[in-house]
Amino acid sequence: MIYLKDIRKSFNQQPVLKGINLKVGKGEVVAILGPSGSGKTTLLRCLNFLDKPDEGIVQVGDVQVKTKKATKREILSLRRQSAMVFQHYNLFAHKTVLENVMEGLIVTKKYKKTDAKRESELMLKKVGLEDKHHHYPSQLSGGQQQRVGIARALALNPQVILFDEPTSALDPELVGEVLSVIKTIAQEGITMVIVTHEMSFAREVSDRVLFMDGGVIVEEGSPLEIFNAPKEERTRQFLNRISRDIPIPYLEEKAN
Amino acid sequence: MTIDILFIWTAFKEILKALPTTLFLTILPLFAGFLIGLAVALIRIYKVKYLSGVANGYVSFFRGTPIIMHIMLIYFGLPLLIDQISAKFDWGFQSNSIPISLFVLTALSLSAGAYLSEIFRSGIISVSNGQMEAAYSIGMNTFQAMTRIVLPQAMAQSIPNFTNIFIGFLHTSSIAFIVSQKEITGAANIVASTNLKFLESFIAAGFIYWGLTIMAEGLSFFIEKKATAYNRGGLQ
Amino acid sequence: MGKSFDPSLIVNFVPTLIHYLGVTLQILAASVSLGMILGITAAILRVFRIPILNQFVILYISFIRGTPILIQLFLVFYGLPAILLFINIDISRMEALYFVIITYALSNGAHFAEIFRGAIKAVDHGQTEAAYSVGMNNGQSFRRIVLPQAIRIAFPNIANAIIGSLKDTSLAFTIGVMDMMGRGETLIAATAHGLEVYLSLSIIYYAVVLLFEKIFRLYENRINRHQAVNVSAAG
Repeated sequence: MIYLKDIRKSFNQQPVLKGINLKVGKGEVVAILGPSGSGKTTLLRCLNFLDKPDEGIVQVGDVQVKTKKATKREILSLRRQSAMVFQHYNLFAHKTVLENVMEGLIVTKKYKKTDAKRESELMLKKVGLEDKHHHYPSQLSGGQQQRVGIARALALNPQVILFDEPTSALDPELVGEVLSVIKTIAQEGITMVIVTHEMSFAREVSDRVLFMDGGVIVEEGSPLEIFNAPKEERTRQFLNRISRDIPIPYLEEKAN
Repeated sequence: MTIDILFIWTAFKEILKALPTTLFLTILPLFAGFLIGLAVALIRIYKVKYLSGVANGYVSFFRGTPIIMHIMLIYFGLPLLIDQISAKFDWGFQSNSIPISLFVLTALSLSAGAYLSEIFRSGIISVSNGQMEAAYSIGMNTFQAMTRIVLPQAMAQSIPNFTNIFIGFLHTSSIAFIVSQKEITGAANIVASTNLKFLESFIAAGFIYWGLTIMAEGLSFFIEKKATAYNRGGLQ
Repeated sequence: MGKSFDPSLIVNFVPTLIHYLGVTLQILAASVSLGMILGITAAILRVFRIPILNQFVILYISFIRGTPILIQLFLVFYGLPAILLFINIDISRMEALYFVIITYALSNGAHFAEIFRGAIKAVDHGQTEAAYSVGMNNGQSFRRIVLPQAIRIAFPNIANAIIGSLKDTSLAFTIGVMDMMGRGETLIAATAHGLEVYLSLSIIYYAVVLLFEKIFRLYENRINRHQAVNVSAAG
């Protein structure tokens, strides 16, 4: 479903991705973990060319693009293989909830308006927002907005859905509703790549976990392998730092 | 009708002699307007009794009517008023001895005051409440907080707006030619009609205004960089 | 300099002058519509940095912003016939009204272009990314997502520019257009009551400006309804 070969990307001569190779099978749910600045979001954005890789091959579904000679047409058809859920939702601010979901269907899938409406209503029901059709994004809570974002992605019936830290802009009490929606659709067999900071969520939802640091994939494996028996030192350090509720300096202080 | 390119240069040199008048009709009203505007803005922000109603009406009317109206109203109205008062108190003073430019300056000052007061007001409001509270917290009174903390920041933030007002009034001063002031447009009009070369003269005048505008923008950019240095954040 | 002040004349003058308000509004409507087309086109040429045309637009905007409207009016009035004569079109007998409309359209176009350019840049880049993520191409994303939002952002400034333009129309009489101001001049010539004429004109302009402000504010509230928070944040 996804095939990446030797993806490299720099920003201002600062290498962010240093040769990423990856295969994701159909229906697989892959979580990408890693400290900030590790390149995980950039990797995700390279999958739909929101960031254009400097080198390498990107394939999603049947569309393969060789970075060096990517044409506009190729990039567009690559983008149409996937859909994305953004950290800051990025809902179309001037359109209602229903129109947000319909927009992609009408413009890129050439649905008739009535069909697009029916399909969109179905998707909104799925994310539990059937009573918010005519609200504008600014009238919704963050959690509701993100669920619209998920419905918008889902409606396109893409080969892959890309999640870019879907809960990290949310207030803690709103994280749950979004994660539970993602879990539900994960069970439907849609291929998903999820960049996240929610460890327990990654463990629950994913078939495979990638740990990235410094622009490379340091380690990958099943959630069980990565969370319970990480092989690499860097992975262990990261998980230690992040999985404790109590900060380490505090514990050290106590020990003394 | 053909265009006499060489005459544009001749006209340019001739019209440029009127530059001091244009600058005079621009800068003086802005100075007066600065004081009026600041006073009016403070009156409106602090909702001073009685005065704030007058201030609101003044700003609304002068911003709501064309500036040529202000010039004409003062030009026709002030002499009537002066002559009446003069007759009443037997001063033996006639309004025709007052140069027209004084009426123009008065009208433009009142217009500038109205426009500038809005800039001061938004500048002062945009400086956060927290700044005022911080000033109080170290023991300043309202006057000190206003003059030492809020106004300096409000002024610095308003520099782009001041530039726009300056350019606006530079261009507005061209209206004075209608009451036969010999500023740049008036001079261009004279050069045009004495030589019957209208297009060339107004092209020359256009270049002068354009050049002045570009210089003003450049200067403003430079001043703004200096004045808002505190606001740049991070490492220089 | 005129006779003594007679306020009752204002009551007579206002109805006479208001007959000519139509000419003023006609100038405004035509120049704002043409200016809108010009402004959006120019803004797009600037935003997408279309070679040569971009530089041309920069020069055009700089010139309009750099010169008084009076000078622009004279340049069009004397210059346009001269230029068109080169290609053998004689417009020297064209009505002054059209020169005014052309000038104000050019002037509005430049101001609108700067406003639209700022507004387009102010639309969050995430909106474009989201449009790409649902499979839109550049054109679709710009037309359907960015431009409608940019127009909303631009609206208050456009409204101000239109009101500014309305006030600027008071200078059209200098090339002989018979609008309110032009009629006012003839009234002064006939009655020598300059102050009363200008008071009447001020009253009309002020009323029209206030009316426009009111309409624009209502319309702005309407188009910004999608930004009304507080409807139901949590429910």
